Amino acid sequence: MERFLQYLFDGLSIGSVYALMALGLVIIYRGTGHLNFAQGEMALFSTYVVYQMGEWGIPIGIALIIGLAVGFLIGAATEVFLVRPVAKKSAFAVFIVTLGLFQGLNWLDSAIWGDQVLPNSAVSKQQQFPTLFPNKSTDFVRILGAEWRLKYLGVLLLVLVLTAVMFLVFNKSRAGLAMRAVASNSESAKLVGIRTHQVLMVSWGLASAIGALGGVVFAGINGTVNLNLMFTVFIYGSAAATLGGFDSPGGAVLGGLMIGVIENMAAGYFPDWVGQEMKLGLAFVVIVGVLLVKPSGMFGTAKVERV
Amino acid sequence: MKSLFTIKSGGPASWALRVVAAVVIGAVVLTVPTGDSYPLMNQFTTAFMLMAAAMSLNLLLGYTGQISLGHSAFFGIGAYATGVFVSRYGWSPMWTFPAAFVIAFVVGALVSLPALRIKGVYLALVTLSLALVFPQFIKWRKLTWLTGGPRGLDKAGFNFGRKNRTYEIFGHDFFGDMRGQGAIPFFYWVAFAVVVITYVVCRGVVKSRAGRALIAIRDNETAAAVMGVNVAVTKGLVFGISAGLCALPGCVSTIRTNNVVPDSALITVIGSITFLIIMVIGGAGSLWGPILGAGVYVLVVEITGDWSNEDNIPGLLRPLFSWSSTPPGTGIFAISLIVLMFVAPFGLLGLLKKWTARLVSVRPKPAGTTTIEFTSSALVAEDAST
Repeated sequence: MERFLQYLFDGLSIGSVYALMALGLVIIYRGTGHLNFAQGEMALFSTYVVYQMGEWGIPIGIALIIGLAVGFLIGAATEVFLVRPVAKKSAFAVFIVTLGLFQGLNWLDSAIWGDQVLPNSAVSKQQQFPTLFPNKSTDFVRILGAEWRLKYLGVLLLVLVLTAVMFLVFNKSRAGLAMRAVASNSESAKLVGIRTHQVLMVSWGLASAIGALGGVVFAGINGTVNLNLMFTVFIYGSAAATLGGFDSPGGAVLGGLMIGVIENMAAGYFPDWVGQEMKLGLAFVVIVGVLLVKPSGMFGTAKVERV
Repeated sequence: MKSLFTIKSGGPASWALRVVAAVVIGAVVLTVPTGDSYPLMNQFTTAFMLMAAAMSLNLLLGYTGQISLGHSAFFGIGAYATGVFVSRYGWSPMWTFPAAFVIAFVVGALVSLPALRIKGVYLALVTLSLALVFPQFIKWRKLTWLTGGPRGLDKAGFNFGRKNRTYEIFGHDFFGDMRGQGAIPFFYWVAFAVVVITYVVCRGVVKSRAGRALIAIRDNETAAAVMGVNVAVTKGLVFGISAGLCALPGCVSTIRTNNVVPDSALITVIGSITFLIIMVIGGAGSLWGPILGAGVYVLVVEITGDWSNEDNIPGLLRPLFSWSSTPPGTGIFAISLIVLMFVAPFGLLGLLKKWTARLVSVRPKPAGTTTIEFTSSALVAEDAST
């Protein structure tokens, strides 16, 4: 029981990061119908920015806000300057552009910060990546014998609060209404006077900022940041979005939490068969399985196509 | 746009051009290994491997429009097939090439089964996760007895030594006693042979009934099915062939380095992205695109390789790249990938065709007798109408 709870807690916390990644993917997919392959790398850039702020001695709260702003700008600029012009040509062109961004941002990070694990004692003043939550060895709550460290618990709470806020924004505010209108039919939305361009720009920015939050939080859990940090998170996030349904924000969050729990349980209970190496295999199985059995995911709407 | 000369496809002038091109290429290929410049030969060998891999990807992506980011896994299958058969079972290295092709073909055909239902970006997602899982799968502790786990396999190529002085190819010693000679020219020719095989197979597939079926599927799958194309079989077959071909350069990489490890760059997802970059930069959907792309890729990587040291950057470019602490090759490719999507979606070869069309335009044979070269004719037609 104690073991079960431990895996559950760890899974929920790490799943929160996947949920953030998936949420970003879903917001972009709903708006423009593209899968943003650079989502992870956009987040990574902001994460490095937050690291740099920490180096300069800026407290994590302010650093986080700046990081999120940078994330928002990257996302919005990508939509306006890169995705929108090529989207007219073909979906393949958008795919290539996001892939170019993936590669380009990763290179930019390596060009500025090098390919080392940061922070390390050679170049940085910080001991470890700044976390948002208390991170002393005594900072945990004990539930039925299982320890839930506050920095893990905090991540989950953060994601739940964010989901609630996003839910309110999507369903109760004018901006959310505009977003939903553009997602469901952008032509008609334009006709009733919604500035679809602005809405899409904000969607991408928002998605990128949420991803950035995921990156910062994940680096906080890890204590370090490096160039490969977001590769696997992106895949888990995509698996979560696939599981929850690519056009359902709630599904994405739930999918993320589920993937996190499944992954941790499988790796914990079957160390020989799954273990740390084949955890990623689970994401693969989930993606293929869901797409084959129910391509719309748990909460997505099935796409009907007219030939 | 009016061009200066118009020649008929298949006419004497067109054949003359082809012969000239063949002579130039033949001269380059034959000249490179005659000198004792081993670095140059190594670069060509690398370029050949990338060419073959990008061509196999192009067969799938350029001609059927199925996005695959999983080709590094097929490359890895080739590399590990050679490694396992040679290192664990004592095969002669050359026999592992056909075996690798068959294994990768089967895996590719299996992957194509979900690909029948999954399209576009979803397929990209599935294949991307395949590419990420493959190295993990190799490191899986249940498979360590076979793959050697994270440490990989040693002695996986030709063990050229005191006792064994020949490179045996299917039981023949074409090269004779190699005592005192480096193996680099040998690998050069093996890699070149792989490129030729890949090219011939791709050309055979593309310029046949199957190739026309592929293009029909790419442009409108429903219409193709209505016209009697068996979509499932065609897609599965091409996925298999593409995967099998991509395994061959993988085999070359193993015999070249005599070992194989799961973390070597081309086996991980970086390989998939590299192949894709080469294909897109060269020109997707054309036979020569990946060849051009691989040449440019290796050239740029070679030139920019030591640019992390500021003093090696040529004067004009220094302010652009001097701040970078890593070689800017990857960044240059990433940027050119994005720029190409704006200015030339058909890559460098597309640009080249567009420009040469002003000088010489090749009039295709009448419909029904000709083979279809989709992108070039579309580009020429576009030019003609403006």
